[in-house]
Amino acid sequence: MSVSPVSQIELNNVSQSFTSNEHQVHLFQDLSLTIEQGQSYAITGPSGSGKSSLLMLMSGLEQPTTGQGSYVNNERRIALHQLREEIGFIFQQFHLLPELDALNNVALPLKLRGHKDAERKAKYWLEKVGLGHRLTHKPQQLSGGEHQRVAIARALVFSPRFIFADEPTGNLDTESAKEVADILFSCCRENGAGLIMVTHSENLAARAQHVFTFRNGTCERVGQTQQEVQCA
Amino acid sequence: MLNNNVRLAWQFYQQEKRYAHQRFLSLTQIVLMVFIVTLSQTSDAIQRYLTHNLNNLLGADLVISQKGALKDTQQTVLIGMTEQLVLTRSLNTTLVHNDVWQRVKLKGVGKGYPLQGELLTSTALAGEFEVTSSGPDAGEIWLDSRLLASLSLQLGEQITIADQKLTFTRILQHEPDRLMEGHNVDMRAMINSLDLERLNFPQDIIHHRYLFAADANQISKVIDWQKDNLPAAQTNHKQGAHPLALFWQRTENFIGLASIILFFMAAIAIQQLTHVQMKKEQFFSAVCLSLGSSKSTGLQISVIKWALGILFLFPVVLLISALCHWFIIQWLGSTFTGLAWSWNIPLAAKTLLATASIFFVFHFPVWLGLKKSSVAQLIHNTNRKVSSVLSLGCALLVLAGIAAAYSDNGLLTAMVLGSMGISIVLILLISWVALSAGEALTKNVSGLVPFTLFMMKQRLLTKTTQILGVGLCAFLLLFTLMLLRDLGGSMANYQRQHDGNLLVSQASKEQMDDIESWTKSHDIEVRQSKPFMYAKLTQVNGTHLSDYSEKPSDSLATFGRPIRLHWTDTLPGNNRVVDGQFWQPNDENWQQVSMEQEVMTDLGLQLGDKLTFFIADHNVEFVIAASHAYKPGAGSITFWVQIPPFALKHIDAPQYSMASLELGSEQFSLLNQLWQKHPSLRMVSLKEITQRFDTTLAMVTQVISGFSLLIIVLASIVIVSSIHALEGNEKKKNSVIMSFGFSKKTCLQLNLIEWLVTGSIAASGAIFGTWIAGLLIYQSQFSMSYQPDFIWLLGTLTIILSAVTLLGFIASKKSLSSSIRELMAE
Repeated sequence: MSVSPVSQIELNNVSQSFTSNEHQVHLFQDLSLTIEQGQSYAITGPSGSGKSSLLMLMSGLEQPTTGQGSYVNNERRIALHQLREEIGFIFQQFHLLPELDALNNVALPLKLRGHKDAERKAKYWLEKVGLGHRLTHKPQQLSGGEHQRVAIARALVFSPRFIFADEPTGNLDTESAKEVADILFSCCRENGAGLIMVTHSENLAARAQHVFTFRNGTCERVGQTQQEVQCA
Repeated sequence: MLNNNVRLAWQFYQQEKRYAHQRFLSLTQIVLMVFIVTLSQTSDAIQRYLTHNLNNLLGADLVISQKGALKDTQQTVLIGMTEQLVLTRSLNTTLVHNDVWQRVKLKGVGKGYPLQGELLTSTALAGEFEVTSSGPDAGEIWLDSRLLASLSLQLGEQITIADQKLTFTRILQHEPDRLMEGHNVDMRAMINSLDLERLNFPQDIIHHRYLFAADANQISKVIDWQKDNLPAAQTNHKQGAHPLALFWQRTENFIGLASIILFFMAAIAIQQLTHVQMKKEQFFSAVCLSLGSSKSTGLQISVIKWALGILFLFPVVLLISALCHWFIIQWLGSTFTGLAWSWNIPLAAKTLLATASIFFVFHFPVWLGLKKSSVAQLIHNTNRKVSSVLSLGCALLVLAGIAAAYSDNGLLTAMVLGSMGISIVLILLISWVALSAGEALTKNVSGLVPFTLFMMKQRLLTKTTQILGVGLCAFLLLFTLMLLRDLGGSMANYQRQHDGNLLVSQASKEQMDDIESWTKSHDIEVRQSKPFMYAKLTQVNGTHLSDYSEKPSDSLATFGRPIRLHWTDTLPGNNRVVDGQFWQPNDENWQQVSMEQEVMTDLGLQLGDKLTFFIADHNVEFVIAASHAYKPGAGSITFWVQIPPFALKHIDAPQYSMASLELGSEQFSLLNQLWQKHPSLRMVSLKEITQRFDTTLAMVTQVISGFSLLIIVLASIVIVSSIHALEGNEKKKNSVIMSFGFSKKTCLQLNLIEWLVTGSIAASGAIFGTWIAGLLIYQSQFSMSYQPDFIWLLGTLTIILSAVTLLGFIASKKSLSSSIRELMAE
């Protein structure tokens, strides 16, 4: 189930800005960092500071205003947007498809990829996140914590190298948040996937191996090295 | 409070009118209102034209017409009851000049003609019209301009009719007593009454019209007298209805009935749009509730907002309808000479109000949904759904109302609704079976196609509604196109194959004998020959026909005139018994008839009903013993009413024959011999039939094309609305799929597959629906055997579905503009 731990995402001197009411708003400038597969990262900071933009940029879904991002795999360097098939997402609002039951929501990415044993794998992952007894339940029959557990299983079932999670516990109570976080970290670890989370929760961020914090227009790297990586 | 609500409603109306779903809703409503308003205005214009036509082209205050002449005693009574009486006599004959022949209606007029109005003639084709105080003198003939051109005659030339020479002296431009002008395309000629007598035509082919000058009191007295003394005669008077009024009422009703289809499609579109509307309205109502307002506030604002929306559509609808009405009036100008554009304001108001009521019922589920809204839904971020049974109930209520308003023929209504109903059930069934089977069969297979089938099955209800919309549109288009194509093709082929190319519509025994010897001498084949006599239905179960039924129908209109009564001892080869028992040969019970099945339905007749026919100055009573229907394959000459031959021993009436002959193209010139000997012989060639048919077909084609255009517009709205209703879900689905690492291209492929599957299921339903509708309607309405050309059906369907898929695909593109960022932003 695990994948080779040699991939990484590199951002070199990237800046992101946008225009609002004819004013240029700079989210961050000249940011350089490296994300490694198999490691966990948390991005924190106040609302509107640029956390989600950084997530979008790292996942290759958006292009930086300046600078460049690349994906390095087995010493091969390719553009970030080519990473698309190697990443999975987890959202604050879960975004399960309401017409599908838990099993089929999880089997969805595999079915689309043409996997023959999609449902068997989906069942395996649902059991892994503790929902083996909820296979045929539709989203409206599940609690918030269970929604997110299904979403985690769905994001990991096709073995992506990186998981991008946007406020994965933002909609959950403390107890459910802890359970979901446990599952999220353990599954990513077992699967050898890199986990990049945007969160307001200090507790959740503290469980990540690396933390980037947006503060007063700068992004600081705290955690293992606690060093500032970028100056505005 | 109400003022505040009106102000708020106005504010929201202004904001929401720009929303896509509001635009689609408005468009649907505009299309339907324009259709109904234009239909009612056009029909009203035609009815008023007919009334005007009746008042101005009757040429008298009262007209009594019948085949034979009045007895002297009857004439004396009538003269005593009225102020003045003038007789005109007319018959259909054939004029021959320099080997060119032309069918013509020849009218003989005498002293006192014209009674009322102006008789206009001229001495040159482009010359000025002159008011002429009396008809032609003895030895003269006046021809209308078309006849003049057709026979290539010059003023002063002589023409021979039955060995009598008549001089062409004037061009007939206008007769004041031409009630049927515009509907009767016969070419016309006028001679003096004395010449008509000298020509010695058989009395039974001469139509007598007695024109009276009378006041209202005298008119009603004459009508009462006529009912008792001349039951078979037709009366027309200035206070009565035009003989064609019922026919055009029927036409309006048929088109109105067909509009059920449009309303059904609108119901689908509105139902789809209601999802979006309901969500917004419930949210607003819940916010109002959370701010301390009552439920009725939200409801009031919603109703006022809806009313404002409808009210502001009225000017647009009126303007477009006025334009459409104008175009239709121009188009009908060739049929109704002098028909002018006019606008009936009270009728327009009434129609708009009725249509608004329909939309009110369609919108009702939204307001019921508001009753269910609560603050809790803001907390749970949900919305309360209204049962789809209620939406369906509202739609059915509207459709039943329209059917009731326009239905005048139970069988036709049942067939239109039946074929629609069967198509709907079929499409629903095929959707369910195909998606369930597709999903089950591909359960263990992965890939884009199985995934699409799987997703469609999961969204069975919404997908089925979409498929139903597309399927019905395809069905309707397919059926209308097929009808157009087959009406033309089948009729011409069929006539040729079974009936020969010359139809003798009425020949006396002497004429028929001459025809037979003529055909033998020229080796011409007589395909069919069937005897008949004229009979006028006067009473049903003792009730006078005019009091029996007021529902407009073709049958009733036809029974207003004498019909052909056929006698036969065995069931004709082109008939089948539908109900009752057809008599056996030599059955001595002569007072029984077999009636055509649709005629019975039209008039609401039952087996065992008593019919009184006026035949040769006698009332003869019959009992309906059987009903029959047309069966293709053995000639198309068929009769509505048939009696046993034994009846001839009790009825002494002139007997005629209908026949069909097959002539070689070079043999048509030989017809002159027959016509010169028998100018009153009624024959019509296939070419003439085809020409008449082509004119009718051209009109039908234009009507159906216009109707198809409406279907296409509504079909597009249904498709776009259903996409719009599901857009939120689709966007989310696409974003989620992209979050698994797929590109937009994959979503695009999924979308395309989904539309192809939707199209294919809808297509299957449409083909089956068309086939069933063909079986049901072709036979009974057009007397055509239905032989579906599946290659043509599939070809046409492929074109329609390609267009549908393309439209669906393009309209769905917006849902592909989704992104993972949007999922994060939620």
